Amino acid sequence: MPVATPLFQALTFLAGAVAGLLGALLGIGGGVFLVPFLNLGLHFPYQSAAAISLTTVIATSSSVSAARSGRHLINMRLGMTLEVATATGAILGGITAQELSQSTLQLLFGIVTALTAFAMLRRIGRRNVILDPNAPLGRLGGRYFEDESGGMVSYQVKRLPLGLGASFIAGNISSLLGIGGGVVKVPVLNAWCGVPMRAAAATSAFMIGVTATAGAVIYYGHGQLIAALAAAAVIGVQVGSWGGIKLSTKVKARWLKLLMAVVLLIVSALMIAKGM
Amino acid sequence: MSEARDEQLELMIGRVLKTGVFASGICLVIGLALLYVPGGARAAGILINVGLIILMTTPATRVVVSVYEYMRERDWLFVVLTTIVLVSLLGSLLVGLLT
Repeated sequence: MPVATPLFQALTFLAGAVAGLLGALLGIGGGVFLVPFLNLGLHFPYQSAAAISLTTVIATSSSVSAARSGRHLINMRLGMTLEVATATGAILGGITAQELSQSTLQLLFGIVTALTAFAMLRRIGRRNVILDPNAPLGRLGGRYFEDESGGMVSYQVKRLPLGLGASFIAGNISSLLGIGGGVVKVPVLNAWCGVPMRAAAATSAFMIGVTATAGAVIYYGHGQLIAALAAAAVIGVQVGSWGGIKLSTKVKARWLKLLMAVVLLIVSALMIAKGM
Repeated sequence: MSEARDEQLELMIGRVLKTGVFASGICLVIGLALLYVPGGARAAGILINVGLIILMTTPATRVVVSVYEYMRERDWLFVVLTTIVLVSLLGSLLVGLLT
């Protein structure tokens, strides 16, 4: 177990700040950046890196969702339905993480990071279609005002079992790898369940707090969470994402996404090479 | 299903999350600062752990609030769903402590 020296605290804080900044600018969780930095850069055991990252994921989910509340972007009913699957998946992932070797976890992380990069590339330049604002919502549907298009968007949730399946897998890899799991949920909710991108992302970010808590509590109980470093990372991520939100109006997301997709592919290759 | 009630729940949850983030943030910042004060290590350790526990309790608290609100609305399906989530969170705590 790494010791929380002042140097490690400072580095973890900085890494958290960078991860939070990039996460906020790119609309993804910062875990994909924080975990490899702690694991490959600072040589923390994978489980310690994942535990620290999960605590920052909880903080990001809570603060982002608090800021969004009241705007109907978060589909609470859909989120709470899918949480049944993510929470169960997270517990299983947390138990499995204790059994898997460092190199297996690194390989898995490499694969998931590559998927994140491709998902990000696909999203570049894509706009939401305005759906019929008067369509029936069904039991789980939602309705919200979209700033970009300046209109009401309403949608129905389709193929719920697929969404539940994706959420279970997302919960699983979340506590296994120390990331939020949005990379699995958001594309499925958007492409197959009929949830518009912004609502899918907001609902996923909302659920991630519960998912990451189920995972983090297991690491915490096992004494694998280094408290002082987790604290430094959480504060770093909060500062970083605050900065990211301020900057996001000035930075061209398109180029940044392209650049970061390349960075993620490099991270993925490094992790896979390390895990082989 | 009433959209007004759902909106009320959304705002309540927003307040719970904001309070949790704020309270844990204060504990963590003061805790980290105390690490650098001579003789402050013990208090620092306690404050940092309290901060982390508040952080982890925040999502659980918003699930509790949801269970309560859906009960008041007599929306039994969602009472059951949110209760399952709450039980899962308690289950993960037990897994963490007992295994």
